[in-house]
Amino acid sequence: MMRKIILGVGFLLAAQGAQARSVWDGAYTEDQAARGATSYQQNCGRCHGANLSGTFEIPPLVGRFVPYWSGTTLDVLVEYISQAMPLGRPGSLSPAVNADITAFILKSNGFPAGTKELGTSASDQKAITFDSMPPKKRAKAR
Amino acid sequence: MDRRHLLKNSLALGGVMGLGGCAATPGAAPGAAPQPVSTVPLMDRPPVLAPVRARADRFFDFKVCLRPFRTKGPNLDVEQIGDAMVVHNYGHGGSGWSLSWGSADMAVQKAMSRSPKEIAVIGCGIIGLTSAITAQRAGAQVTIYTRELLPRTRSVRANGAWTPDSRIALTSEAPANFGQTWEIMARSSWKTLRQYIGIAGNPVAFSDHYYLTDAPRGTPQPVDATVMPLPPPTWAGAPTHGEDFARYNDRIRDITSFPQQLTPDINPFPVKYASRSTNLFFNFTEYGHLLTNQFFAAGGKIVMRNFHSPSELGHLPQKVVINCPGMAARDWWKDKAMVPVRGQTGWLIPQPEVNYGLTYRNVQILSKSDGIMVIALENGELKGYNNSDESVNRAESDRAVKVIEDLFARFSVKQA
Repeated sequence: MMRKIILGVGFLLAAQGAQARSVWDGAYTEDQAARGATSYQQNCGRCHGANLSGTFEIPPLVGRFVPYWSGTTLDVLVEYISQAMPLGRPGSLSPAVNADITAFILKSNGFPAGTKELGTSASDQKAITFDSMPPKKRAKAR
Repeated sequence: MDRRHLLKNSLALGGVMGLGGCAATPGAAPGAAPQPVSTVPLMDRPPVLAPVRARADRFFDFKVCLRPFRTKGPNLDVEQIGDAMVVHNYGHGGSGWSLSWGSADMAVQKAMSRSPKEIAVIGCGIIGLTSAITAQRAGAQVTIYTRELLPRTRSVRANGAWTPDSRIALTSEAPANFGQTWEIMARSSWKTLRQYIGIAGNPVAFSDHYYLTDAPRGTPQPVDATVMPLPPPTWAGAPTHGEDFARYNDRIRDITSFPQQLTPDINPFPVKYASRSTNLFFNFTEYGHLLTNQFFAAGGKIVMRNFHSPSELGHLPQKVVINCPGMAARDWWKDKAMVPVRGQTGWLIPQPEVNYGLTYRNVQILSKSDGIMVIALENGELKGYNNSDESVNRAESDRAVKVIEDLFARFSVKQA
C-alpha cells in the first residue's frame, strides 16, 4: 500500500516536471531542424509533399496535424514516425534522423526553436508535452 | 439510361436492317456466300456494345490503395482495453466492399451482447461505415471516430467490383473454420447489398463482364514482354503463387452467375475467345453518399480524431467499441499479420453508354457512373504484395489503357 502511494507521488512529481517543458519552450535547435529538412525531403517529401501539405489521399503534416498529435508527449509522435514511417520501409530510419525530422515538422508548424536538440531517448522526449496552444493562450482558454 | 441506350441501338439496328431490306445487299459482292445465321438463342446474344474511348489522355484520375490484407484472415476478435470492450473488424484485403455488411453483422452481434446504449466505431472506411449503420439498426447511438472521412479513406481507392474472396487470407494461415465464417459473411453481405440494387443513382448494380483471350482459357496466354517479373519474396512464409491465397467463391456458386462461353458467331470482340458473366459492382460516389446520409439520418455523429495508442480507447465515453482501422492496424495496433497489397486504378472520363466491363491481356476495365476504371492485373494475386508505395505510377496505367486502346482500334460494332 505504502509502495503504491510512493509510486503515485513519484508519478505526480514526474508529471509536474514534464509539464514544466512543452514544445513552446524550444524542443529542438535551428541546426537540427535544418538537418531534418534535408532528411525529410529525402525520405518523406515524395508522399507528404515538399511543403508538408500532403495530397488528397496522403495526410498533411501541418494544419490538422497539430490537433491530431497534440495532447500527449513528444515520444508518442517520434515513436510512431520511427515505427510506421516511411510507409514503404517502416522503421528503416535511425533514431537521430527521426528526431531531426520531428524537429523539422515542429518548426514547420510554428513551434519555436530552442538551445537544446530534441534527444533520441524516449524518456527525454516524454518529458516534453505536445500542447497545441502556447502557455498564455492556454491560460486564457481555461 | 441502359434501357434508353438499348432502345436507341435497336432502333438504329432496325433502321439499318430496314434499309438493307430495300437495297440489294449493299457492299456484298455478287454471288458471295450468305453469312451463316447464328443458332444461339436471342437471349444469350450480347447486345450491341458501345466502344470504350480508351486513350491515355482521357484519364482524369489515378488512385493507389493499400489493401488491408491480413494473412490470417480478418480480425474479428474481442478484447478488453481498460473498461471498454473492443470488437475488431479489420483486415479484409481485397474483399472489404464485398464482405462489409456480413462482417459488420458479426461485429455488431458481439458488441450488442453488452446491451450498450452507445457504441463507438473507429474508422470511416467501408467497414467502419457499414459497422456504424448496422449498430444503429440494432438500436445503438453511434459515434464514429476517424482521422479521414469516406472520400479520403483508402476504401474509396479500391476498384469497386464484387470480389468477396480477393486476397482475404493465406491458405496456410487462415483458421480451419474460416471458410465457414467467410460463407456466412458473404451471404449476409449479399442479402444486404441486394437492398441497394435498383435505387436511384445505382449505388450497387450488376453489369456484364467479358473475359477475352487470344488462346483458349485455361491454356498459357501470350506473355507481355514489357511487364516486369516480380522480385523474389523477401521473407519466409510469403506467398509465391496465386494458389497460396485462400479461395472460397465456390461456396456461393448458387447465387453468382457462371461464365458463359460466347461462340464465334456472337462474340462482339475482335479476339478469338470470349466468355461473359454478370457481376455486382459498387458506384462509390452514389453508394458513399447514401451510406453517409443514412448514418446521419439515424442520428450518427462523427468526431475527427487520431488515436495514438490502443489504450486511449479505454477512455472513450462509449464502453463498447468496434475497431475498423483498416491498414492502420499494422502501425496502430501493431498487428504483424497485416500486409499492404498495393493496387492502382486509372479512371477514364465516364461513358454512360458503356454498360459493361472486360478483362483482356491482364488488364481489367469496368464502366461505372463515376468513370471507367482501368487496372493492370499482371502477376495476379501477388501483384503489389507487401508494397506500400502509395504514389501513382502513371506508366502502369498508360500501359494498361494501351492494351484496351489497341483492342477497340480493332473493334467494329457487330450486331446481335
